[in-house]
Amino acid sequence: MRLPIAAGAATMAVTIALYPLFQGGAWFWASLGAVAVVTAVGVPVSRYSLPPWLAPLGQAVAIWIYLTAVFSPEKAWARVVPTRESAVGLAKMLVTGFADIQRFAAPVPAKPAITLLTCAGVALIAIVVDVLASRTRRAALCGLPLLALFTVPAAVATEPISWPAFILAAVGYLGLLVADGRERVGHWGRAVLVRRSSVTSRAVADVGPLRLSGKRIGLTAVVLAILLPALLPTLEPSPLFGFGVGNGRGKGTNSISISNPIVSLRGELSLPNNSEVLSYTTTDNLPRYLRMYALDIFDGQQWTMTGSSGLPEDRISQEPLPPPPGQSRQVPAVTVTTKITVSPAIRGMEFLPLPYPPSRVQVEGDWRPDRDTLMVFSTEDTAGGLTYTVVSDEPKPTAEALRSAAAAPREIAERYLQLPRDLPREVRDLAVRETAGETNPYERAIKLQEFFTSKGGFTYTLAAQGHDEQALTDFLIRNRAGYCEQFAASMAVLARVLGIPARVAVGYTGGAKLGERWQVRTHDSHAWPELYFEGTGWLRFEPTPAGLTGQGSATVPAYSRARAADAPDDQPSAAPATGSDSSDPASGSASNPRNRRPDLEYGGSGPIVVEEGTPLAARIGLGVVAAALVALIPAMLRWQLRARRRRVSSRAARPAVVVAEAPGAVTVRTSLWHQATTATWAELCDTLYDHGVSRGPSESPRALAVRLAAQHGFDAPAEEAVTRIATSAERMLFARTPGENGPTREDLRVVRRALAASVPRGRRIRAVLLPPSTLARARAVGTGLLDVFDRLENLRLTGRKA
Amino acid sequence: MAVTHDISPRLDDLVVTAHRIRQAIESVIEGKGDAVRLTLTVLLAEGHLLIEDVPGVGKTMLAKALARSIDCPVRRIQFTPDLLPSDITGVSAYNQQTREFEFKPGPVFASIVVGDEINRASPKTQSALLECMEEHQVTVDGATYALESPFMVIATQNPIEMEGTYPLPEAQRDRFTARIAMGYPEASAELEMLDVHGAASPLDKLEPVATTAEVRTLIEAVRAVYVSQPIKKYAVDLVTATRQSPELRLGASPRSTLQLVRAARAHAALAGRDYVIPDDLQDLCVPVLAHRLLPSVEAQGQRRMPEQVVADLVRRVPVPEVQTK
Repeated sequence: MRLPIAAGAATMAVTIALYPLFQGGAWFWASLGAVAVVTAVGVPVSRYSLPPWLAPLGQAVAIWIYLTAVFSPEKAWARVVPTRESAVGLAKMLVTGFADIQRFAAPVPAKPAITLLTCAGVALIAIVVDVLASRTRRAALCGLPLLALFTVPAAVATEPISWPAFILAAVGYLGLLVADGRERVGHWGRAVLVRRSSVTSRAVADVGPLRLSGKRIGLTAVVLAILLPALLPTLEPSPLFGFGVGNGRGKGTNSISISNPIVSLRGELSLPNNSEVLSYTTTDNLPRYLRMYALDIFDGQQWTMTGSSGLPEDRISQEPLPPPPGQSRQVPAVTVTTKITVSPAIRGMEFLPLPYPPSRVQVEGDWRPDRDTLMVFSTEDTAGGLTYTVVSDEPKPTAEALRSAAAAPREIAERYLQLPRDLPREVRDLAVRETAGETNPYERAIKLQEFFTSKGGFTYTLAAQGHDEQALTDFLIRNRAGYCEQFAASMAVLARVLGIPARVAVGYTGGAKLGERWQVRTHDSHAWPELYFEGTGWLRFEPTPAGLTGQGSATVPAYSRARAADAPDDQPSAAPATGSDSSDPASGSASNPRNRRPDLEYGGSGPIVVEEGTPLAARIGLGVVAAALVALIPAMLRWQLRARRRRVSSRAARPAVVVAEAPGAVTVRTSLWHQATTATWAELCDTLYDHGVSRGPSESPRALAVRLAAQHGFDAPAEEAVTRIATSAERMLFARTPGENGPTREDLRVVRRALAASVPRGRRIRAVLLPPSTLARARAVGTGLLDVFDRLENLRLTGRKA
Repeated sequence: MAVTHDISPRLDDLVVTAHRIRQAIESVIEGKGDAVRLTLTVLLAEGHLLIEDVPGVGKTMLAKALARSIDCPVRRIQFTPDLLPSDITGVSAYNQQTREFEFKPGPVFASIVVGDEINRASPKTQSALLECMEEHQVTVDGATYALESPFMVIATQNPIEMEGTYPLPEAQRDRFTARIAMGYPEASAELEMLDVHGAASPLDKLEPVATTAEVRTLIEAVRAVYVSQPIKKYAVDLVTATRQSPELRLGASPRSTLQLVRAARAHAALAGRDYVIPDDLQDLCVPVLAHRLLPSVEAQGQRRMPEQVVADLVRRVPVPEVQTK
C-alpha cells in the first residue's frame, strides 16, 4: 500500500530534474499525471494482494488510455477509449517527437509531440520502478531506472543540474527505501507490551532508534554526496555542482575538452530571451566579428577542434601574442583596438571572444593563446564580468594580392585540407560545378560564397536538422535550409574540396550599435568559415544570409564581395598600413621566442592540454605536504586549545580570595580561580581521552583521581597532582568555598607525563598527532546538526497531528 | 586563605567524636567497618536503621554496642507475635492515689530504641512503632507526648523468606533511612571473635564515649553541611532513575530523596568535609534506596535484586560535570 505511492513519489522527484530540458511546464503536468495513473493502478494491486503481474499490465493499459485521452482525444472513441486511429496518431506523434528532439537543442519548446515523448518515457520508468519496488520487493534496484532518468538532463543539458534538484531526487529515492524498510519491519508484527505499568508509552520505542539511525545515515549520505564532489576534485572555488556530462570543461583539471561549440551555438540561438553577452567599442567605430573557437576537424558529420596547447610562458600579460599564421607584413593591415566588456551574467565562458587576428590582449587572469589558431582560453578563469582590450592587425588585402597568393605551406595544407574519405560524391561534384570556370582559389571562394548567399536558393531557418551522416548532403543538395552552422560548415567543406585550407570559426557577429557601444546578444551567436590565403593568413567569409530573413547582424566582408574586392578602399578606415621592411616573416619572427613555428609536438589531436610549469614530482610533493597539513589540523587545534587553557590556568595561579559574610551565606568566588579550574579540568579530561583512558558517566572527579593513580601506577607526585586537580574541580562544583590551592600548570604536566608513560607508544603518538578529543568534538558538532534535523522533523510531525 | 566558617571546628569535633564511637563499637564487633560507619551515618542523619540478616550475625550486638557507647537512654523491644501497640507506646493507667489516669511511657521513650526481630510482630504493633519513627511523638488517649532527641530506631529483622514473619509493607519500609545486611564475618574476624568473646561478653566492658548533648551538637553540625545545586539535581536524577527503570515495579519515593540527601550530609561530615560530593550519594544509594523498591516481574524472573538494579543505575546516571563553554 505504502510502496506504490513511495515508488511514484520517487519517480516524480527524479523527473523534476528534467526541468532544464524543456520550456514551459506542460511536460511536468503531463508527466505528473502519468505517474499518478501508474500509482493509482499500483495501489489497489498491493492493497488487495492481486497477482503481481497484473500491475505492470494494468499500468501499461492505463497509461495508453491516459496518453490517448490527453494527446489525441479527437480520434478516440468518447475521447478516451483508444481506437486504431488514435493509436496511429500517437505513434505518428511519437515519431515527430523523436525528430523534434533531434532538431532542437535544450531547452526544447513545449511541443505536444515532445511532451508526449517525455510523458511516455516517464511513465515507462514509473512502471519499471513500481514493478521493482512493489512487485519484486527490490527497492534498492529502483536506483537503476531512476538513475537512467536522472542522467538524461545530465547528458543533454550543457547547464549542470542544480543541486536542489539532486537533493530532491536523492530524497525521493531514500523515501522509497524507507518505505520498503518500514514495510518489512511492519511484517514483524506489533511490539509486545511487557511492562505492567502503563506510565510510559515507550512500547514502540524500540523501533525508534532504528528509524532514527536510518534517517541519520540517509541524511549523512546525501550531505556527503553533495559536499564531497564540491570539495574533492579541486582546491579552488568552482561552481558547486559540476557534475553532468554536458559540463565537460572540468575545472581544475589540466585537460579540458570542449563539449561542442556547435551544440551550444544552436542552444544560444534558440534561447527565448535575447540577453546581452558583451559590449565593446572599437577605435574605428566599426563592428567586428568576435571569434571564440576555431574548429579544424571535419569528421563527416560535424566540425570539432583538435588539441592545442597553451604554454605557461605564453600566458597573456603585456607581451604580444604569437604572430597570425600566414600573415605577411607586406600585406597592408589596419590596427584596431577593441575594448570588450563581457556581461557578468555570462558563466563558464572559457574562451575569450576576440576579433581576428589579435596581436595583443590586456586581460586579468591566466589566459593563454593557442599558437596555431590564436584562440585565447583559460582553464582557471572565466570571462564573465571581465573587461579586456584587444589590439588586432586586420589584413586589408587587395584582390590582386589574394589572386596571386602562393600555395599554402605543407603543415597548413595537411591540417586544413583533410576530408573524410567517404565524403559523398555529389558534394565534391557540387563544389566543382559551382566554381566551374574559375581556377584561382580566391575566385573560387567568392563563387562559393555567392552560391550560398544568392545563387543557391538557400533559406535561413533555425529549425534545422542536426548533424548526422545525412545532414551535409541534406543541406547542400536537398532542402537547402539551415542556419549559420550549416552554412559555415558546408562552405568550409566545399572550400576544402576545392583545395583551399578552411576551418569553421564560432563566436559572435558584430552585434548592433547601442549608443556609443556595440552590443552583442545571445542571438548574435554565429559560425562562419575562415579560409587561408598565403601571405594574408586566415580570412573570414560569410555564406549565411543576413538581414531579417537570416542571421540579423551578419555582414559580408569587403574583400569577398565579387566586384567590390577590386576596390579595397571602400571602408573608411582601410588605410593601408605601412609594409614592413623585413624580408621574410619567418626569419623576422625567429628572434622572438614566442614565434616558434607550430611544430609537430603540438600538432597532434587530442584534448587541449595546458602545460603546467611545475613538474609532476613537485606537484606530488605539494599534494603530500597539503595532505599532511590537512591531517595535522586536529593536532593543531588541540595544541591551540591546550595553550589557551594553560594561559587561563596560569593567570589564576595565586589562591583565590574568598569573602564570607556569614556562615552559610553566599560566598564570592574569584572568577579567575573558577576559570582556571574549569580549564584545567577540561584539559585533564581531554588528555585522558587522547590517551584512550575511558571515563564512566558516573565517575566523580575524586573517584577518577583514585582510579587513575591506581590503574596507571602513578608515583607520589603524579598522584598528588591529579588529586589536586580533582579536588579543585570537586570544590568548584560542590563546595561552598574554593580550596586553598588551585591546580597549576605543573600539575597538568606531571599528570600528562605520568599518563603517557603508562600507555603504549601508539596511543602516545596518536594523542599528539591525531588527538581523539578534537575528533570527538567534531563528531559532537555533527551530532548536534543531526539533532537539529531530527527536531525539525518532530516539528513537522507534531504540526501534522495538531 | 582563612575560611571564616564556624562549621570547621565543629566538623573537627565531629570527626573526633565519631571516631571514638566507631572504635568503641568495633571493639565489640570485628570486621564490620562499613556497617558501623553506616549506622553512625544514619544516627547523624536523624534517621532509622533496618538491619536485615539471618540470625546470629551480630545484628543485635551492633545495635546494643551503639546504644552503649553513647550515654543515652536505651530501650530494647523484643517483637513477638503477641506484642501489643501499647507495649511499645505506653499506657494510661488509673492511679488510685491521685485518682487520675496517668501515662506510663512505653519503651519507645528513649534515645535509641532497639527493635529486635520487628517482622515477628503483628502489623498493628509494627505500625505503632513506625508512627513514632515518622512523627517523633506518641499519641495515647488523645494526649500527645513528644519523643527525645536524638531518637533513633534500630530495627532488626530476619529475611522475609524465614518462617513466622510478617513482612513489613513497603510504606513502612520507606520510613527507614537505610537498610544494611551484616553478612557473615571473615574467617580471621571470626577467629578473633572467638578469642575475645570466649571468656566474657565485651559488651559489658563497653563504656559510653559520648553524651547525648554531644550527639545533638554533631547532628547540628551535619545539618550545616553544604549541598550544592548540582548535587541536589544529581540526587533527584538518581531517584528518578529508579522510577523509570523497567526493572523496578515501584521506584523510590520523594521521602527517600530527602533522606538520601540527609544521609549524604552525614556521610560527608563523617569524612570531615563540609560539602556533599557525588561519591557520598553513590556510596549511600544502595543502603538508602534498595529496600524501598519492588522489582518488576522480569527482574524477579532473572533473579535481579533491587540492590543490583540500584548499583547499575548508579553506574549509569551521569555525575554533575564541569561546564565548559
